[in-house]
Amino acid sequence: MMDVKRIVSRIEKNYIKSNLRKEERIDGRGLWDYREFEIKSDIIASAEGSADVFLGDTRIMTGLKYDVGTPFPDLPNEGVCTVMAELLPLASPLFERGPPGEQSIELARVVDRGIRHADCIQTKKLCIKEKEAVYILFVDMYVVNHDGNLIDTGAISALATLLSAHIPEGIIGDNGLEWTGKYLTGKDLVNELPIALTYGKIDDIIFLDPKLPEELVCEGRISISVTENKICSIQKSGAATFSIDEIKMLGKKSIEIGQKLRKQLNLTQHLSKVK
Amino acid sequence: MPLIIKDEYPDKLFRKDGKRLDGRDVDELRPIKMEVGVIKNADGSAYLEWGNNKIFAAVYGPREVHPHHLAKPDRGILRVFYRMATYSVFDRKRPAPGRREKEISMVVGDCLEPILFLELYPGTSFEIYIEVMDADGGTRCASTTVAALALADAGIPMKSLVTAIAVGKIDGKKVVDLSGIEDKAGEADLPIAITWYNEEISLLQFDGDMDLDDMNHFLDKAKEALSKVHQIQLETLKSKYIPLQGEITNEKKGEK
Amino acid sequence: MENETDEEFIEKDKNEEDIEEFEDDEASREVVLPGEVLTEDTKNFLPGRGTIYNSERSKITSLNIGLKQISKNYINVIPLRGFYTPRPGDKIIAMVVDKNPVKYKCDINAKDFGTLKPKNTIKKDRNRSFRGSSGGGRGGGRGRGNGFSREDMNTNKFNIGDILIVKILSADRINKPELTTVGKYLGIRNNGIVISIDPPKIPRVIGRSGSMIKMLKNLTKCNIFVTQNGRIWLKGEDLAHERLLIESIRKIENEAHKVGLTDRMQEYIMNEIKLRGLE
Repeated sequence: MMDVKRIVSRIEKNYIKSNLRKEERIDGRGLWDYREFEIKSDIIASAEGSADVFLGDTRIMTGLKYDVGTPFPDLPNEGVCTVMAELLPLASPLFERGPPGEQSIELARVVDRGIRHADCIQTKKLCIKEKEAVYILFVDMYVVNHDGNLIDTGAISALATLLSAHIPEGIIGDNGLEWTGKYLTGKDLVNELPIALTYGKIDDIIFLDPKLPEELVCEGRISISVTENKICSIQKSGAATFSIDEIKMLGKKSIEIGQKLRKQLNLTQHLSKVK
Repeated sequence: MPLIIKDEYPDKLFRKDGKRLDGRDVDELRPIKMEVGVIKNADGSAYLEWGNNKIFAAVYGPREVHPHHLAKPDRGILRVFYRMATYSVFDRKRPAPGRREKEISMVVGDCLEPILFLELYPGTSFEIYIEVMDADGGTRCASTTVAALALADAGIPMKSLVTAIAVGKIDGKKVVDLSGIEDKAGEADLPIAITWYNEEISLLQFDGDMDLDDMNHFLDKAKEALSKVHQIQLETLKSKYIPLQGEITNEKKGEK
Repeated sequence: MENETDEEFIEKDKNEEDIEEFEDDEASREVVLPGEVLTEDTKNFLPGRGTIYNSERSKITSLNIGLKQISKNYINVIPLRGFYTPRPGDKIIAMVVDKNPVKYKCDINAKDFGTLKPKNTIKKDRNRSFRGSSGGGRGGGRGRGNGFSREDMNTNKFNIGDILIVKILSADRINKPELTTVGKYLGIRNNGIVISIDPPKIPRVIGRSGSMIKMLKNLTKCNIFVTQNGRIWLKGEDLAHERLLIESIRKIENEAHKVGLTDRMQEYIMNEIKLRGLE
């Protein structure tokens, strides 16, 4: 709560901990409650898909661009989707200028793995001509305001961006690469709706969606990406340890909360209407 | 490999009815929307939509200078960091800052410095971060305009605001407020900014060809247009505090 | 060691002016902006706080976003946004961010960090005499007549992350602000929570003659310290009361420019107490 720099004051740490022991959070939430999500899609005119997502005050603006390139030799009829993240220095006094650091690389990779292992994108649909031309999709996430839990916010923003996609459809014709006049949309490309759920651990108490002061005090964190019925990716970070029972409990909780959240957010409303 | 849809410029920049491609008259501005206080972690912040431009500006300062050797003992320093998102342009831009971004950072910084009192804050630094999320012509001008708002939002004493706009020539005609296509396909492009405390020019660049009559026309028209944009800046700052006194406001949802 | 009972901060010095300006019903509620011309009548008016002459001295303009206010023949602008500038005598909330054996480095929400030296953390004890001839207490002073023993001149008292209420001893352009924890109400806080608001809004949270802060305390049943660098320490009987107080302070921060705020805040809080079942 105090202007957050790198150090959290002792009394704030105690405040967060003593309230967690009563199963209360500093902003009135329960241990397993999300802050409010707000999603606006297709807001960037220059991009082929985009989303502006708030989770509480944390804000990430993501955009999709494409390129056409040659496929990997071992996957001759599949395109590629890569995820990048930048923690903009304007988003927080905690972020410094310069090339992506550990935190932005972790954010990009965790979101990427959640999408990849959920088979979220039908990469075969990203093929224009086998062995010759495939789409390369760039999903670039920019953190605009940091108030904790970049991963869950990023995952939703990447997903909404892909759903809102309207990529020009290409074929290899007589004159090389040509436009069919139509677009590949989220409906064509998106198969699954993976959601990431991040939990913090302080003093043996585990809770969902850490706000920034909680995140800075956390001893450990774990992010679990889920589809409707399966777990597709897990990332544990921080020095604290989790018991086997805790992980089992979190796996179950993640699927349940994921199902509820998916219903609540109604993500398919962000599918592009262009055709 | 080339992209599927090419970034081609249209032959004509005026329609049959005499209007510009987006329906504007020669002296008409694009729709402009501004907001302050959008980034809670910053000392001051603002957001602007100008045509399809979408730009954030955030101010951090006064604060310690990093790296320390850049600090000046007799005054504060102003540093502007202008960056564009990869997806803000038609052809995806590489994430790392390029030369154009560095040049614009410098030009915007020179344009903002006259309105500040840097000598009052020796040994400190003011950092302005500008992030273009969507670009549509005149980004350095829009960036200057939104940065001035962010400085005011941070409560930093200023002589006045500064406002910027790009004027130019397209298809032989002189116009105000170049859009992205007009900027790329036109014959002349003149970004200009005015600081209002002395009504003088603090940013001026030019590319293309013009004669002296052209230049005089550009400068006069620019000033007119800049006044209009300045009004929008002022109304944006004031609107945070209006409706006026006495109104009992019910519990509002937190501002974003 | 700290007296944890109800206290509030009412600065009985220059800040009284700030409070008067905000609460004065006759004051203009006109919001002015940087560069806005406040008057061209430079014969009858002088530039006061937050204002400046133009280069020809024919106009007085505002330097900030703020409220225009005229006092005698001075035109002032009370800023609605701004950052904190340390002044000697200010009582503020600091956080220890670093220390070495000879001093503490403290975050004071200003462009510079503040320095706290060990000698300014110990109350000078007049009874402690030269060469430790007094009985009891610490005795054993080491050859200095200033009442400090060697044991005192270290930085073991406070740790990184500690919240301290301090007073600014000195602050100027060259030296970093020097702080002290010696004095009434000063020292470490071991419980409660600290929040930050925009420093120019602090007088509004205090109110004329402390009217706002007294009302907040009584209704939310919390202890509150309001300090000049925009930081407010508070402690209530439970999280729900504290949260109500924090939200109320944020509301005051957002509506600082409006008249009749104290009454409206009172109504708001009493209403919320009912709604949230906090009686």
